[in-house]
Amino acid sequence: MLRRLRYWIGSARRSESLREEMELHLAEKAAELEAEGMTVERARAEALRRFGNVGQKQEESREVWMTRFWSELLQDVRYGFRTMAANKAFSALAVLSLALGIGANTVIYSFMESVLMRSLPVADPESLVVLNWHSRPPQDANKQWVHVVHGVQGLLWPGDKGSLVTGMFPYGALENLREQKQVFSTLFGYFNARKLSLTVGGQAASVHGEYVSGEYFQGLGVSPAAGRLIDLDDDRRGAPPVAVISFAISQNRFGGAPNAIGQSILIDNVPFTVVGVTPPEFFGVDPAAAPEVFLPLHANLLVDAAAAQRMYSDGNFYWIEMMGRLRPGVTVAQAQAALAPRFHQWVEATAATDGERSKLPTLMLAPGAGGLGSLRREYSKPLYVLLAMVGLILAITCANIANLLLARAAARRREMAIRLSMGAGRFRVVRQLLTESVLLASLGGALGVLFALWGVRSMTFLLGRGQENFTLHAELNWKVLGVSAALSVACGLFFGLVPAIQSTRPDVMPALKNGRGGGPRNRAQHILVVAQIAMSFVILFAAGLFVRTLKELNSVQLGYARENILLFSLNARQAGHRDPEMGTFYADLRKRFESIPGVSSATLAQSSIISAGFAGPAIKGPMKIDAVTLEGARVLSAGPRFLTTMQIPLLAGREMDDRDQPGSKPVAVISERLARTYFGNENPVGRLITLPEEKRELEIVGVSANLRYGGLKNEAAPMTVIVAVSQFSSDRMTYALRTAGDPLRYVQSVYEIAREADSRIPVTNVITQAAEIDRTISREVTFAKLCTGFAVLALLTACVGLYGTMSYTVARQVGEIGIRMALGAQRGTVVWMVLRRVLLLAAVGLAISVPVALSASRLVKSFLFETKPNDPLTLAVAGGVLLCAAILAGYAPARRASRIDPLAALRQE
Amino acid sequence: MGRKPQKNDSLPGSLDMLILRTLSRRELHGYGIVQFLQQSSGNELLVEEGSLYPALQRLELNGWIDGVWGVTSNNRRARIYKITAAGRKQLRVETRKYAKLTLAIARVMGAE
Repeated sequence: MLRRLRYWIGSARRSESLREEMELHLAEKAAELEAEGMTVERARAEALRRFGNVGQKQEESREVWMTRFWSELLQDVRYGFRTMAANKAFSALAVLSLALGIGANTVIYSFMESVLMRSLPVADPESLVVLNWHSRPPQDANKQWVHVVHGVQGLLWPGDKGSLVTGMFPYGALENLREQKQVFSTLFGYFNARKLSLTVGGQAASVHGEYVSGEYFQGLGVSPAAGRLIDLDDDRRGAPPVAVISFAISQNRFGGAPNAIGQSILIDNVPFTVVGVTPPEFFGVDPAAAPEVFLPLHANLLVDAAAAQRMYSDGNFYWIEMMGRLRPGVTVAQAQAALAPRFHQWVEATAATDGERSKLPTLMLAPGAGGLGSLRREYSKPLYVLLAMVGLILAITCANIANLLLARAAARRREMAIRLSMGAGRFRVVRQLLTESVLLASLGGALGVLFALWGVRSMTFLLGRGQENFTLHAELNWKVLGVSAALSVACGLFFGLVPAIQSTRPDVMPALKNGRGGGPRNRAQHILVVAQIAMSFVILFAAGLFVRTLKELNSVQLGYARENILLFSLNARQAGHRDPEMGTFYADLRKRFESIPGVSSATLAQSSIISAGFAGPAIKGPMKIDAVTLEGARVLSAGPRFLTTMQIPLLAGREMDDRDQPGSKPVAVISERLARTYFGNENPVGRLITLPEEKRELEIVGVSANLRYGGLKNEAAPMTVIVAVSQFSSDRMTYALRTAGDPLRYVQSVYEIAREADSRIPVTNVITQAAEIDRTISREVTFAKLCTGFAVLALLTACVGLYGTMSYTVARQVGEIGIRMALGAQRGTVVWMVLRRVLLLAAVGLAISVPVALSASRLVKSFLFETKPNDPLTLAVAGGVLLCAAILAGYAPARRASRIDPLAALRQE
Repeated sequence: MGRKPQKNDSLPGSLDMLILRTLSRRELHGYGIVQFLQQSSGNELLVEEGSLYPALQRLELNGWIDGVWGVTSNNRRARIYKITAAGRKQLRVETRKYAKLTLAIARVMGAE
């Protein structure tokens, strides 16, 4: 085998020496014959005659060192490259579109796999179950919240028919269910600590934290990368404060996992000792979160005592999430049957009224192998939509390849006939044609791999919205890549095989006689082109809808400034500041930021306006004006100069300023809409808003213009109440600076001032207002960009198909067109003749795809904003673009047809 | 577009044996082998001269002969072949096979 290989490698050299040997043989023979008296020419001829077929003998000799199969394959590949080079544009487009089709599919599918199907990197993930519950809608007829859930800390998500679904439980439920030891070998709880400030050696940083119960790591079956993990002893009141950190943090902050063990750290200014490091691949139970610090559940008594008090004692406060590991042999259904009644009994005891008893939560167990479903909930639908699109693109691409091969096979019937009549084996010719198609497909596949590698990286970036610790990391899925590539090769094989067999039918005479070659049949091609057009239209329409949505979002009236504002957040409580000193600290800091040269004004607020509402309400309970409850009013607590900095017009009264101190009378600035709704044409300044639950009153001191509160998709002119941050405390503050020029130029000064004020407080979420707003619509931006790209790709591919088909049709009709022109047909008539067919194909494609597109677009309704899924304008534009592209693609062959010289055409016939 | 190779020697494999036998006497180049075969057979054996070369390639690939570039008696550059030890062994095998075969044929013919 090895020797054969060596022979094969040296084959070129060997061929040469063989040729020389044979040449010598012939020369000597000729010389001998000459010596016998023959003339030079005759001697040479005789020598050749006796030698036999020189080429064949060479071939046979070569076969000795290289099997015939390989040598023929090499020939075919070489020939294939030559034909490809002869049809450069065509082949390049086919290969390119195939590559993009394969690449795009692989990328999207790789993401789907990592989002929807990947298991947690823990021992035996299949036996994990997540505990959730669902109940009837909590609002009663008066829209009052009536439910055993009196307080929540975490995420609720809507289930079917307005029901409530969540994974949060009171601590009592965990204690109770833990007693049932028949179904779970371990039941553990955890909850998201959100952002914590982690100080290592005086350097503070903001990290994601998770509180976990003592059984957490044991239940998940995770072993430490260094040290030990949190166990039952760590998770009780009064236990020494210990922390487990992620592998990445141990690398970045301690220079290695072993170095971190035993080190003291400060978490929210509370000292902890690092006892262990999690393994590198471990990311907790939620693929969306990736905690960097794990603390025992009860450590929250040290970190956030005020909040923690309620957590352990209040059976109506829902905050802890749970996961269990099934005992061997127990199914999810069995576990559900065993635990649901137990939970029902427990939760019933926490209900105080009949209203609460009427909608008790029902326990539901869900498979936990994939971890929590937050990523899946967020990304599965967009990914399905994208997958559908790239699937269509691959189909278009395959159709294109098929079309190309059909056209080429038809055009080469004559060539094939010549080969066959020269004695080529039929199988051999078919094989050669197949080699060419597979070559094309393989090239496409190879490029597709490159494209996929690049795509996976850029998609992570696009979907991650630039988040620093985005956890959705897809790896290139080689299985998928293999399937897409196999599909394209199979397509190449199939569509290469059919015409190859057709064109090598033993009956070669008609093909040889027919000068143009090619039978009358190109119906298959027409069907393919129509399908391509139909599919591209669907993608085009979808892209149109997403672009329209993005345009609508970008033209939303904010009611406040978007440009030249720098945002960043500080959390002084995490560094140990407490009221009332904290209020002064924040207020002083604002003045110092305002004194930065180039900063015209600075303010602070609970959050940025675009993300307002996520940070939790600034005030508790309802608001009333006289006896009337304010319905749907939104509250934002903000500091001095808020309206000035955000450039929100002040319509009456004054905005917040330094006069509004914790001790002074609480004040509010209301929006114009609120003023109109509740005060009509009266001047609201000086009137009061009462807060029964807080037992306070707000004096309205000003009226602002309407501003869009929260996300861009929220209502345009909501009723807003701005209260003073100094009077309604908030732990975390978001500062906003109005700057001259690029806001990011001032970041350095901000860092310096913050460090000077208190080096323990990390400055987080530094971003411009424009970027902060764009981040909320990043999914729409991504969709619009990707879909536009896909649409261009699809359209281009379809046009290539159309162009190819029409070129072929024109080439076949040269004779006919020649006769028509000879009989006096005008050029325009000929162009029209070709274009008419193009339009017909496009029209058939459109007729098929418009209903399809309209019904499919309903599926993406939730992605649209201010755009109807059957938006007629988008439909018209997409149709117009498609027709224009079709005409453009058809014009070149049409023009060529009109340039046919009748004389030449007829002579050729 | 080749066709299946045609075997055109009457006794399959005999060409290989003849070449090995020739080379076991002396080293020769391709043309020399043909000449030798003709002369030593009294012009009875007419080898299709071209067939010699595939056979030489085959023998060399099997390691029975070894070809090196050298100079012929009339000073031309040529590949001179010589038999290897393995080739001699193979020659003995083939000779024995050939002897058996011819004996068998002779018996059949003699029985008539």
